[in-house]
Amino acid sequence: MTQRRIPYLILAPGLILLILFLVLPLISIIFPTFFDGGFTLAHYISFFMDDYNVGIFWRTIKISLIVTLVCVLLGVPTAYYISQSPKKWRGLLMSLTLFPLLTNSVVRSFAWITILGQGGVVNNTLMGLGVISEPLTLLYTEFAIIIGSVYLFLPLMIITLVGILENIETEIMEAAETLGANRLIAFVKVVLPLSVPGIIVGSILVFTGTMTAYTTPQLLGGNRNIMLATFLYQNATALGNWQGASVIALVMIVATLVVMKLFNVVAGRMDKRGEVSA
Amino acid sequence: MRKQIGLKIFAGLVFAFLFVPLLIIVVTSFGTNSTIQFPIQGFTLDWYGKVFENQSFVNSFLLSLQIAFWGTVLALLVGVPAAYSLARHSIFGRNWIKSFFLSPTIVPGLVVGYSLYQFIVIQLQFPLIQGLLLGHFLICLPYVIRVVGSTIEQLDGSIEEVSWTLGCTKLQAFMKVVLPNITSGIFASFMLAFINSFNNIPVSQFLSGPGVTMLPTSLMNYIEYNYDPSVSALSVILMLGTVVLMFVIEKTLGLASIS
Amino acid sequence: MSYVELKDIRVSYDHKNDILKDLNLSIEKGELVSLLGPSGCGKTTTLRVIAGLINPNDGEFLVDSQNLTKVPVHKRKFGMVFQSYALFPHLTIRENVAFGLKLRKEKKNVIDQKVKDILAITGLEELGDRYPKQLSGGQRQRVALARALVIEPKLLLLDEPLSNLDAKLRVAMRIEIKRIQSQLGITSVFVTHDQEECFSISDKVAVMNKGIIEQFDTPEEIYKNPKTEFVARFIGFENFFQLTRVEEGKYKAGDGTIFLSTRQWETDKRTGTIRPDDIDIVTGTEPNENNTVSGTVKVRTFLGKSYQYEIETPIGALLVNESDDVIYQVGDSVTLSIPAHKLIIV
Ligand SMILES: Nc1ncnc2c1ncn2[C@@H]1O[C@H](COP(=O)(O)OP(=O)(O)OP(=O)(O)O)[C@@H](O)[C@H]1O
Ligand SMILES: [Mg+2]
Repeated sequence: MTQRRIPYLILAPGLILLILFLVLPLISIIFPTFFDGGFTLAHYISFFMDDYNVGIFWRTIKISLIVTLVCVLLGVPTAYYISQSPKKWRGLLMSLTLFPLLTNSVVRSFAWITILGQGGVVNNTLMGLGVISEPLTLLYTEFAIIIGSVYLFLPLMIITLVGILENIETEIMEAAETLGANRLIAFVKVVLPLSVPGIIVGSILVFTGTMTAYTTPQLLGGNRNIMLATFLYQNATALGNWQGASVIALVMIVATLVVMKLFNVVAGRMDKRGEVSA
Repeated sequence: MRKQIGLKIFAGLVFAFLFVPLLIIVVTSFGTNSTIQFPIQGFTLDWYGKVFENQSFVNSFLLSLQIAFWGTVLALLVGVPAAYSLARHSIFGRNWIKSFFLSPTIVPGLVVGYSLYQFIVIQLQFPLIQGLLLGHFLICLPYVIRVVGSTIEQLDGSIEEVSWTLGCTKLQAFMKVVLPNITSGIFASFMLAFINSFNNIPVSQFLSGPGVTMLPTSLMNYIEYNYDPSVSALSVILMLGTVVLMFVIEKTLGLASIS
Repeated sequence: MSYVELKDIRVSYDHKNDILKDLNLSIEKGELVSLLGPSGCGKTTTLRVIAGLINPNDGEFLVDSQNLTKVPVHKRKFGMVFQSYALFPHLTIRENVAFGLKLRKEKKNVIDQKVKDILAITGLEELGDRYPKQLSGGQRQRVALARALVIEPKLLLLDEPLSNLDAKLRVAMRIEIKRIQSQLGITSVFVTHDQEECFSISDKVAVMNKGIIEQFDTPEEIYKNPKTEFVARFIGFENFFQLTRVEEGKYKAGDGTIFLSTRQWETDKRTGTIRPDDIDIVTGTEPNENNTVSGTVKVRTFLGKSYQYEIETPIGALLVNESDDVIYQVGDSVTLSIPAHKLIIV
């Protein structure tokens, strides 16, 4: 009966490495946050009682939400356009979308430093035109984080959506049009509902990505616009508060799981409604 | 047709949004001024030379290559057999195990790095570089499981059975029949894992120290204190690297296989 | 003892339902035996037990008096042809065929010669350097056959090898398979659910139903003398009616009609059956004679070379095929003759 065990033996190295170097380390940082003599939730309660912490938490959620929304708004029409293009053209557009995604995120965030900075492109241009006399503070703001994150995640949203939209046949659109809908209405009534699964998957990726991102808030947010990931790093290194860092780590993990669950529930609801009306 | 034009303009603007910032970087890398300027005055290639003179860039680049390479190789060694087992055998709790193998994508990268640093480096006293390698192995593993797994699922299982009837042991069948037919999946997952590991910052953030700094981290540290066109030049070099990789993937697998 | 013996084989995938129930089968050396039956009856499962791809929960499997039940698949040295052909996509036709021989570490010139011979037998000489993708369905089929045959297997196993081919090619290939099989004298098990294919190719046929073998006989015997209602239905008997046994060769239907049969039947069998082709519509016979019933035409269907009538009779609705010599109309009263030598009792 050793034959029976072979499949599990083959899986074992991967499982063991994951347990040793993912699960155990996570437990080792999270476990102590629940103990202070005996079992306690004090660290988490005090985390959420502190206005500064809560401010960072909500800022992170707010920014993630805005970024996701903007990515959907910019991504859906663009993905639709790509999916409706002739095959050859589509391949090129997909490579163009893939290129930023495969380019280092430091590079992509740095681009916005050169654009939004004090002596950056925007300020130079506006001052050159005489629109403003003093440089605007664009960098190290929430706005900078948002635009940088949109820039980071939009390609991901587009690629996820194209995968789904490609499967919607042109005939469906044409059928909708022959029924008297103009293109915009056909888009809203036919394409949008059909792309909901893609929007959900893309939104999960963008939302959780923004929520846990480190590079962009670090480079574009500065010290006053801290987000959860940068806060964790600050706690651990600058403040030497390992306990606090671990609390934030679990908050981030739980928030990620909750967001994924929420999006899936929303997706389920939408599907049901579609069935009822159909 | 009028509405199509509206859509075209919209898509055009989105692509402009995606590419103009990168173009600005390219242009600024040629500027003569000692801080970044746009538009530039004068033209020079000096900054590219400066990149190669910067020892910390060169060293961290070499480290990044090695870590990304070995992290991917380790993920392949462990992940290909696991993906095979999950695809072919009736495993108890198959879906759970598969989700478990994909779970490093759910845990935020910074947290992965942080927990590894705390546990492996601080508590168990592993050398920093081993922690770094393990962190990048964790990034790579889900790509291998997902891409190789779906390649195996698409492979007709009866070719293995036929090879058994012809006299192959299970291991021989895997080596002679399965492996040769999933090379494209293995290569695709290698590329994906390598690129993502090379570009990743959060996982490495805690796992760096003197002499152990990955290129993106080193670039990020540099940006904190410097604002000269050598950053642009290095960025352009990295973008060229991306172009080369994309070209290689397109010629071998087709880009569609990784998007 | 026969060359191949399956004894009381029981297989269950889920430890609840038995897919094969105490299945017994004996195959003589050099025979081609078919497993025939509806989808899901366990044909493939039986073949996979023989191949060693499935371990039976109970029972024994012997070849040449050797018990192979516990011998793993790669040591059994049987050739197997799959429905999907399962050619190795990364190897040329020649390499595909040589695969099994190379594993056996035979000398290179021996391998080359054997591969050459089998490619000649299967008509593939020209295609040795191509890859599977570059072949037609029928050619792939031959490669799969050649690859299984070249290792000189004790047993050749074929699982619906022709089902992916178009009708014409299917007929050509089954003749080809039969030719090669008898030329090499190789003991073979052939799985199919196509009755005609099965009858034309087999020395013996095992008709399967829900994990058991209902009848194991020559094709002629099965065609003429189905032993059970299931077998009869499966091979085209469509008329069934209840009888009571009066004495040897004499039966009585529900309406009192006496049916004589020229053959002997087991005493517990009670259902009369006959093919639509074997019933005659007769004139000039009194309906109260033995082996005749009267009835009314309910439905007429044009079948091309004949008409099929559904006729309502006191013993039930009967299907009758008749040539177009005389065409009956719906509503006509007719008398049916059920010849004593064509009546089967199951
Ligand atoms: N791996 C499996 N796990 C569970 N049940 C199975 C498995 N393989 C087959 N079965 C079941 O066993 C029964 C017999 O299957 P089998 O493949 O032997 O049928 P078959 O006679 O070859 O049918 P077909 O003509 O459709 O190929 C079916 O009810 C099938 O659902
Ligand atoms: Mg079958």
